[in-house]
Amino acid sequence: MNPADHTKAERFVAHLEPLQRQLSVYCARALNQRDESEDVLQSAVANAFRDFDKYSEGTNFKARMYRYVTLEILNRNRASSRLAVPSGSLEPAHEPALHIDSFRLETLLDAPEIVLDHCDEVVAICVRQLTELERKILLLRAVGDFKYREIAEILDVPIGTVMGLLSRARNQLRNGLLDYAHENGLLRKGDTA
Amino acid sequence: MKCHDARRYWDLYHDSEGDADLHFQLNEHLDNCVECAEWFHKQSRLESLVKERLTANAGEGATAVDWSRILNGAGVTPVRRARSWKMFGSLLTALAAGILLMIGLFGGFSLDGSPNLAHLSAEVHQHVSAGSLRPEFESESDIDVDRYLVNRVPFPVRCPPRKDSGFAVRGAGMCQLSNQSAAYVVGSVDHQPVSIFVLPKESLNEFPELRLILQREPMTACREGNSEMVLSVFDKNLILVIGNIDRTKLTRVLKSYGTYPHSA
Repeated sequence: MNPADHTKAERFVAHLEPLQRQLSVYCARALNQRDESEDVLQSAVANAFRDFDKYSEGTNFKARMYRYVTLEILNRNRASSRLAVPSGSLEPAHEPALHIDSFRLETLLDAPEIVLDHCDEVVAICVRQLTELERKILLLRAVGDFKYREIAEILDVPIGTVMGLLSRARNQLRNGLLDYAHENGLLRKGDTA
Repeated sequence: MKCHDARRYWDLYHDSEGDADLHFQLNEHLDNCVECAEWFHKQSRLESLVKERLTANAGEGATAVDWSRILNGAGVTPVRRARSWKMFGSLLTALAAGILLMIGLFGGFSLDGSPNLAHLSAEVHQHVSAGSLRPEFESESDIDVDRYLVNRVPFPVRCPPRKDSGFAVRGAGMCQLSNQSAAYVVGSVDHQPVSIFVLPKESLNEFPELRLILQREPMTACREGNSEMVLSVFDKNLILVIGNIDRTKLTRVLKSYGTYPHSA
């Protein structure tokens, strides 16, 4: 590696280092096959490093990096879904918000820890059950802490879609938690409809 | 605004999205409706807990990732990164470094000899207000300022949430306050200059007097020259808001940081 490439690598790693953990989490959560995380990250990093000359200091490296990782995830999930049984993974453009049982939700809101302490894996499963676009939007917000506008730019979708699907994904996640809590008797007796 | 309408906008409120007018109306409703205020609080709490689970426990798939192998495989030679604090990069900011160094060397000590954060930050604020110190990055967009800060300091820093529209951002930068790395966001409230300093919570070890005060009360206020200031710890950060305006307005800006789920 010549000195210029070495400097480029040094700068690239300096930018990447603070993001490594959250990119790992994002990737693991967003992929259909979690064991592909390392391959996906490697491809995304290789592409991002190749294009790093086009990066201007002071612009949003984090969003740029997420875009590369998101693109790789999309490719990988497409490949894996071709092998899998077709499911309801078509992207809804503007579906109405999910109905959520407000009576049961109140119980969850009153003592979320009781349910969530039992539900780490359930949260993961509920996230995987979201459509791919919903999942990415939810994760970019929760893990990447991006603003709606940034998410729209990363995913190349209208901001209204981000807003609608984020709300829907949150409701769906809550419904999943409520179902699990109900089935496992975590909600207080008499609180369920 | 009716309760049903207010609750429809919870996502926007929680994520500090939407326009300032919407947040103003929502805040007005929440100030007058205990049920909705409690509902909003519970919703945000649940969302924060879910987020915590999502970010903390990604399972084996995430923890098994070997970044040095990824970098090698991607053709990026891993280099040991000695993260140094790069404060200033231009002639203008070199002047600012000089000013801050002078503040660090000759000012800002308590009677017991320990550094005085209130004094140090008031000095910086006065220079920024007077125009003798310009922020390294100037923008009126909170998104751009957030973007600028995100990879420049090793701790989370953001502008105050937009719902506190009283604060109009003007720029941001980094500085040293008695050997402690700090980020500052400058702007105005009611057209009066206000500065926000954000330091990692651990930096309180450098300011023992202040640490003792904050152990007794979660939020404290004081006056330094003509400037009022309020400060508190939110999650991983120590946040100080300073300006030559009424203390309640500064407190509102400070408290807005508490609405972020995990970080400033």
